[in-house]
Amino acid sequence: MTAAAPEPKANMGRPVPRYEAAAKVTGRATYASDMPLDNPAYAFLVTSAIAKGRIDSFDLDDARRVRGVIDIVTHENAPKLKESKLFSNGGYAGTTIQPLKSADITHDGQIIAVVIAESYEAAREAANRVKVSYTAVAPSASFDSPGTTTAAAKGQNAQFKEDPEVGDFAKAFDAAEVKLTASYETPTQHHNPMELFTTSCAWMGDELVIYEGSQYVYGLKNGVAEQLGIDADKVRVVNPYVGGGFGSRGSMTPRTAIIAGIAKRLNRPIKLVPTRDQGFTIATHRAETRHEIKLGAGRDGKLVALRHDGAEVSSRPDAYCVGGTKTTTRLYACPNVASLVSIVRADRNTPGFMRSPPEVPYLFALESAMDELAVKLNMDPVELRRINDTNVEPIGGKPYTSRSLMACFDEAAKAFGWSQRSPQPKSMSDGDWLVGYGCAATCYPTQMAPSAARVRLQRDGRTRVEIAGHEIGTGAYTVIAQTAAERLGVPLEKVAVFLGDSDLPPAPVAGGSNSTASTCSAVMMVCDRIRQRLFKAVMPSDSLTDKAKETVGISQAPSTQAAKSDRPLDIEKAFDALGVGIVEEYGEWKPEGAPLDSFTAMHSGHARLVGGHQMKDKIAYAFGAEFVEVRVNRFTHEIRCPRLVGAFAAGRIMNPRTARSQLMGGLIWGMSSALLEATEIDERNARYVNDNLADYLVPVSADVPGVEVILLSEQDDHINPAGVKGLGELANVGTNAAICNAIYHATGQRIRKLPVRLENIEV
Amino acid sequence: MSEKPGSGPSGFDRRAFIAAAAGSALVPMAARAAAQDANVSAAQDPALPVDVTLRVNGKDKRLRIDARTTVLDALREHLKLTGSKKGCDHGQCGACTVLIDDRRVVSCLTLALAAEGQEITTIEGLATDDHLHPMQQAFVDNDAFQCGYCTPGQIMSAVACVKEGHAGSEADIREYMSGNICRCAAYPNIVAAVKQAAPEIMKG
Repeated sequence: MTAAAPEPKANMGRPVPRYEAAAKVTGRATYASDMPLDNPAYAFLVTSAIAKGRIDSFDLDDARRVRGVIDIVTHENAPKLKESKLFSNGGYAGTTIQPLKSADITHDGQIIAVVIAESYEAAREAANRVKVSYTAVAPSASFDSPGTTTAAAKGQNAQFKEDPEVGDFAKAFDAAEVKLTASYETPTQHHNPMELFTTSCAWMGDELVIYEGSQYVYGLKNGVAEQLGIDADKVRVVNPYVGGGFGSRGSMTPRTAIIAGIAKRLNRPIKLVPTRDQGFTIATHRAETRHEIKLGAGRDGKLVALRHDGAEVSSRPDAYCVGGTKTTTRLYACPNVASLVSIVRADRNTPGFMRSPPEVPYLFALESAMDELAVKLNMDPVELRRINDTNVEPIGGKPYTSRSLMACFDEAAKAFGWSQRSPQPKSMSDGDWLVGYGCAATCYPTQMAPSAARVRLQRDGRTRVEIAGHEIGTGAYTVIAQTAAERLGVPLEKVAVFLGDSDLPPAPVAGGSNSTASTCSAVMMVCDRIRQRLFKAVMPSDSLTDKAKETVGISQAPSTQAAKSDRPLDIEKAFDALGVGIVEEYGEWKPEGAPLDSFTAMHSGHARLVGGHQMKDKIAYAFGAEFVEVRVNRFTHEIRCPRLVGAFAAGRIMNPRTARSQLMGGLIWGMSSALLEATEIDERNARYVNDNLADYLVPVSADVPGVEVILLSEQDDHINPAGVKGLGELANVGTNAAICNAIYHATGQRIRKLPVRLENIEV
Repeated sequence: MSEKPGSGPSGFDRRAFIAAAAGSALVPMAARAAAQDANVSAAQDPALPVDVTLRVNGKDKRLRIDARTTVLDALREHLKLTGSKKGCDHGQCGACTVLIDDRRVVSCLTLALAAEGQEITTIEGLATDDHLHPMQQAFVDNDAFQCGYCTPGQIMSAVACVKEGHAGSEADIREYMSGNICRCAAYPNIVAAVKQAAPEIMKG
């Protein structure tokens, strides 16, 4: 065993290596753009060089003269596509801005032409030879630009239903013994998954196959069908492996239907490989946000008043927002709470979900403010969290299904050596380096969505699991295989899993950390049906069948309970009794509280996510605590983060190896969101400046010397049959605050705007 | 197209030829005369196809390609060796890393023509007789990847890192593996994998 494979604790599965490990280390894993096509033509995008205005004319003569050019598609000759609604308004699209529809330019980098050629090189050259005449209008870039409009999120975004409030904030804040008012700011960020936003489309008659990295193959299939005006059964999306998602591939982007339409017209497969910089504007991003936090507390540290106002930038046509107040108003005990989320419209492409969309910016504000309050109270920041810890969320008065926040703080503090911290700022140093320790809480809602699965069992134990889930690096193949092996009692190596194909039974979007809970619950249910059939075959009497039902552990029983009462089943004997060669079951599972239309919505590519604070009579979140050491050079102001320690509790851990890796990556993402990542915007032209991987800083090996992940044992029987809370988006939350808290401890300087770079340090 | 078929300098219908060759870029031996002609003309027009022989994973591969084709696109689009990945096409991410004469290079910034006569090793050429290379096995053992897209580049880079003598300490590994971005951030596991495989690779 290595550090990568931690010993499982109670309610954890085995730390088996990834199902697809060999394929990934040998180059045999085929991502969407690796799929062979028969005589493809190559597409290259031309994107707009202005953010607002219109195209007056194209001069395509030079481009057309390039040897090998087949076609150049602009708004004047583009395939006619139907509109798709924004996903948050019941559609599939990540933006309602439809390129190639008119001469209008709505944002920088909008697709304005597609060049098709015999080779990638010819398409690229011709695209560079397309000349465009624009009439440009001065755009509004961001918060401080003239010409933006601001309005409350409530009422314009269907998914943002409430500005949480309780009690009388104003009165309580006025009367509070200790008060804090502070403003915070987070930047635009781009997901930058390693795999580019490629799309290949091939038609066979009236049937379309799309190879595209997607976090939601059913959404993409139905969305493209809607735009093309064809039956969704004619569209298949295939991507057995996805080269990173982080939210960028969850909703449909405009490129797919455009490429499909052109491929149909040319009657030839088309392969589009956009450039890295085009990826900054043809997909979504994390919008920049601003926050004002007001905290009122007694001298004992108990919160009496909390207000969180957030503002987020979106595009002109789309009211996208993440609205993290749903979490920040419920994290701590506080009787008087108010909040308001606003959306600021600018001339930008529509933002979208990026790993822990609401929690990363909103908990940065709250967890920074909690640290500031601890300083005002002269109190240890861990103790401030303990004093305000609660098992009942304050807005609706609903109990948490389980909450191990303080256990996480205590475990992580011990591992980190928090007791070695001298509380005064600037009191710790090592040579030229000022040393700071900081911490913060993290949490993420437990979410689930309806999911289907098909499982086939053969007499020799070979098992095939089919589900249109997504392997975006999360370990989906592995935990699904483990679930099937455990439930059917077959060896893991006999289980084959098929994912990433919209011809398979539907699974929800791989977003909101719902995948493991949803898909494993569905697979458990279907495996239990198979077991039931087999048990019935070998125990035909009614009483025994009833007993078999009990022991098999059908229904909502968490996997741990079922496993305990599991009894061995002689599969060969059961098959002989049944007289069949294969037993196959298809089933559809939906979580408690899922709406009535859940299953029809599931098939048409709409994931009905439930959970978090939206559950009836309860609220479900995963929790964690993060501790960081920061070093600031007293002369150069260089900032380093030598140690990140996180402890997490997220219900059942299906596989401690894949879980640890995902949380480790999350911690590094969190560090990155504090110290590295920001998409810089040219304020005059509303264009992204650093749209490449050299200038958009992401962490590399040298940035992360020490990361420690502690998995806490936690059992929660009130969330879903798998007992899983989800952890893909848990670890990169709060890290940004922990780092700024540590910088304050190191330097005495409180920084409230991200990212923190050496030029922001004034020691 | 403004140019009429058959109007090229040699009277050879290049457009039709490219169209025919684009699907299966491996050139039949019979096309030798045309190939020579193409190489002469390439000096005048970079879009004209050129013949190149690449030695990939110990085998010679004859290709007729656009002179601007990179090693990466030659591997992926013409030789169907899709293990090497395109992550930026700018030499910034390292996903396309291959070994050329045992040196690690970003294949997206290397023209195929420039690699002629050199030994190209890709991720597909690392395992032998169905046995994983020690570095591949170490990546499995240490869960040194998540989405896996940067992994072929990481592994090729790691093999060279060890052979360069830059895997002597964790700090060295971190420094000399920092040209390969892993957006999933599997870095601590990647460092552990390189550390595990290094002695075995140095042993030969």
